Amino acid sequence: MNTAAKMERFSYDDDVVKKFTIATVFWGFVSMLVGLIIASQLANWRMNFGLPWLTFGRLRPLHTNAAIFAFAGNAIFAGAYYSTQRLLKTRMYSDVLSRAHFWGWQLIIVLAAITLPLGITVSKEYAELEFPIAQLITVVWVIFAVNFFGTLLRRREKHIYVAIWFYIATIVTVAVLHIVNTLNVPVTFWKSYPIFSGLQDAMVQWWYGHNAVAFFLTTPFLGLMYYFLPKAAERPVYSYKLSIVHFWALIFIYIWAGPHHLLNTAVPNWAQTLGMIFSIMLLAPSWGGMINGLLTLRGAWDRVRVDPILKFFVAGVTFYGMSTFEGPLLSIKSVNALAHYTDWIIAHVHGGTLGWNGFITFGMIYWMVPRLWKTRLHSVKLATIHFWLGLFGILIYITSMWAAGITQGLMWRAIDASGRLVYPDFIETVQRIVPLYYVRAVGGAMYLAGVVLMIYNLWVTIASAPADQSEDVFEAPALNAVDDPSADAQAPHRVLEGMPVLFTALSLIAILVGTLIELVPTFLSTEYVSLNPPAADGTRMINPYTPLELAGRDIYVREGCYLCHSQQIRTLKEEYLRYGEPSRVEESMYDHPFQWGSKRIGPDLARVGGKYPDLWHLRHLNNARDVVAESIMPRYEWLLTDKTDFDILPRKLAVMRRIGVPYTDADIAGAADSARAQAEKIARGLAEQGGGKDLADKEVVAVIAYLQRLGVDLKKYEAKQAAASPLSNGDLASAGGAQ
Amino acid sequence: MDDKNQKHDVPISGHAYDGIEEFDNRLPRWWVYMFYLSIAFAFLYFCYYSLGPGPSPRQVFVEDRAAIDDARAAAAAAAGGDEATLKAAVKDSHEVAEGAKIFAQRCTTCHGDHAQGNIGPNLTDDYWIHGGRLTDIDRTITQGVPDKGMPTWGQTMKPEEIVEVVAYVRSLRGTHPAGAKAPQGELYKGDD
Repeated sequence: MNTAAKMERFSYDDDVVKKFTIATVFWGFVSMLVGLIIASQLANWRMNFGLPWLTFGRLRPLHTNAAIFAFAGNAIFAGAYYSTQRLLKTRMYSDVLSRAHFWGWQLIIVLAAITLPLGITVSKEYAELEFPIAQLITVVWVIFAVNFFGTLLRRREKHIYVAIWFYIATIVTVAVLHIVNTLNVPVTFWKSYPIFSGLQDAMVQWWYGHNAVAFFLTTPFLGLMYYFLPKAAERPVYSYKLSIVHFWALIFIYIWAGPHHLLNTAVPNWAQTLGMIFSIMLLAPSWGGMINGLLTLRGAWDRVRVDPILKFFVAGVTFYGMSTFEGPLLSIKSVNALAHYTDWIIAHVHGGTLGWNGFITFGMIYWMVPRLWKTRLHSVKLATIHFWLGLFGILIYITSMWAAGITQGLMWRAIDASGRLVYPDFIETVQRIVPLYYVRAVGGAMYLAGVVLMIYNLWVTIASAPADQSEDVFEAPALNAVDDPSADAQAPHRVLEGMPVLFTALSLIAILVGTLIELVPTFLSTEYVSLNPPAADGTRMINPYTPLELAGRDIYVREGCYLCHSQQIRTLKEEYLRYGEPSRVEESMYDHPFQWGSKRIGPDLARVGGKYPDLWHLRHLNNARDVVAESIMPRYEWLLTDKTDFDILPRKLAVMRRIGVPYTDADIAGAADSARAQAEKIARGLAEQGGGKDLADKEVVAVIAYLQRLGVDLKKYEAKQAAASPLSNGDLASAGGAQ
Repeated sequence: MDDKNQKHDVPISGHAYDGIEEFDNRLPRWWVYMFYLSIAFAFLYFCYYSLGPGPSPRQVFVEDRAAIDDARAAAAAAAGGDEATLKAAVKDSHEVAEGAKIFAQRCTTCHGDHAQGNIGPNLTDDYWIHGGRLTDIDRTITQGVPDKGMPTWGQTMKPEEIVEVVAYVRSLRGTHPAGAKAPQGELYKGDD
């Protein structure tokens, strides 16, 4: 180092870190409280309280969004702002942008907390927030990116440390994911439809959904781990080489794994296979991070016994290793056939979020808060109790959900020698696991109790902080003042670490390869459209929804029905017996957004049309216990009194036509009248059967119209085909999932 | 901890970030082999299942479905509600009692607690939409009336269970339960 270099004085913006830290703790409590509420709703349906905005279908997205974007999100920003400034020896690029980022993000969260319980949702998991909020997320993310990259360019440290690599990959990839998955066309200010439908929408959604896990819950937390774990352990990082290899392998491979959320569905087999094999290859790169974390603790293990911060880090990294072993396991097609749609997935997810994200966050907060406020932690003992409460809470949570998931999965697939389902009534498989829902709620409550202890501990800590919170001043030479005589002799990656712009570009390329190879074929493919040409008589195999059905569909989306009911029958014999022929890609080709779902707390609805009379649906929606004695579904009484908005329908159909649904001008102009006429007919039938009067303009009729339509087109088409030619069943079914 | 991968105890010079240093340990061998193995597996799996002869999930399903359909057809042929079996069941109080249990579990939702009719028709009068003979009732239950919401119970219930339900339903004839739904269908007074 050139000792003659002029030293520059600077300080770090720790005020914004404090803000993000407090927000992390606050939203962490909120997200987990909502989690506990919805867990108890599954144990006892009365916990839905008969209030629209408190039902499971509306609160579940609030829980996931709050946990991911409010709790984990604020934790990422707190840790990244703290570590980035120190690793780059510079203040954040702009204090104004830092604050715009902070307040903008909190505004997004508040808007989410208001709109989701109101049923304002796009219904794509972890991307539920409607059009205006999605745009705001883009703006705030760009603010973060400008602030971060501005800081990077003004750094006083020539080479960027591995934590920074992970932050770079996070910022770039989340931007790409968010923008593509929120390409929605607004109908009104608070209602929009995705430009993608059916298969395409499913592929885009799970490319996004899976990589929200990868680039929001994994890469930034690896960045945090690489900073805070060696700081807390006071040990060097185990292997620089391992950092390089597992970083690049992780970001390149992760992006491919999305289709493992769609195994055994109507998705083309090549995409399913890519999703599976890249998940398998992801094991080692993931474990690279775990190894580097755990082996960094060599020489510090004696301190793990006494230091709750290191306990949180060790357990957090271990849960990361466990989740990233379970993930590849679950992505094997045959294992997934058992686990998909069950609570096993819920167990898997919570091992990752509660164990990895939660514990890394808690360890980081306990380490950072005393340093930020220039004081000592109030009680190490309380932090240790928090750790044990949290750990046993997680273990109770995931073991109960493993048991529930595997039990239900095995019951769903049990077939006797005469070719019948052993448990033909779905409700039997629900009743069996309800006790485990109580156990899960206990585990969740313990975890939340630990957080409450943390809040108290931090409160007292901060309250006793010294009044003088002025920023410390540091000194370092400017970057261009530093000679680097060894530059010529450096390994290529070391050179790259000095070139953050190139590093960012290469990260972008790494994540675009898998993205393009998996998504472009489904965009370009006319495969399923060509399977739906108008026949000689002008009819199609699959027809767009009638205006009333579309109105009902939007109510179905609003109530979050997709969170408990899938609409995708897999290519498995037990699903054939329970639900009928496997779903085909054409069936959801007009579904903007797709409603395939990811969880079956109730049965699949892909072929529910015509299965029950209208009156059954009316009774079921009003109070499911009237027709299925042990049902855990919430009551939807308000559907019987709230009125359908018929007048908006022409606009909805017009937007649908813009994004590819073949409505005619006449369809659009007559949408409201057509819907009223169809509603009158259904309401008359209900009245005749004793269902009640004056239902025609009520939402329940629109929902019934939608439900009675599901799967009907294909049945009609098959009947017509069978009448026209004795075509075998097998030929028809195999055409749908052509590769 | 003794570690073969530990090359030296001196961190790499020049690698210090806010006090964090880095060792230059080589990659753990088992980790490298695990990575290679997963890549090899992925390659072979893709070659066999996507380029080679490996069956797709749908192809496996089509075979499974054929086997299931055969099993169901065989089971349906083996047992069944022929007239003699049904007539015998009507006289067997045990079978009627078993039928009552199944009815309470599966049928009351639509036909009412006392078969008085609700979403579905009244089953205690002499009027039948799909025929009132024992064999008619057995067929209606087994095949269902999908257009009207009556499930195809033959797919979920065993033939002998359906016989029991038919026996129970016949035992309800003329019970005149409270709130009985108005008659629907054709009058049938016969005994078989």
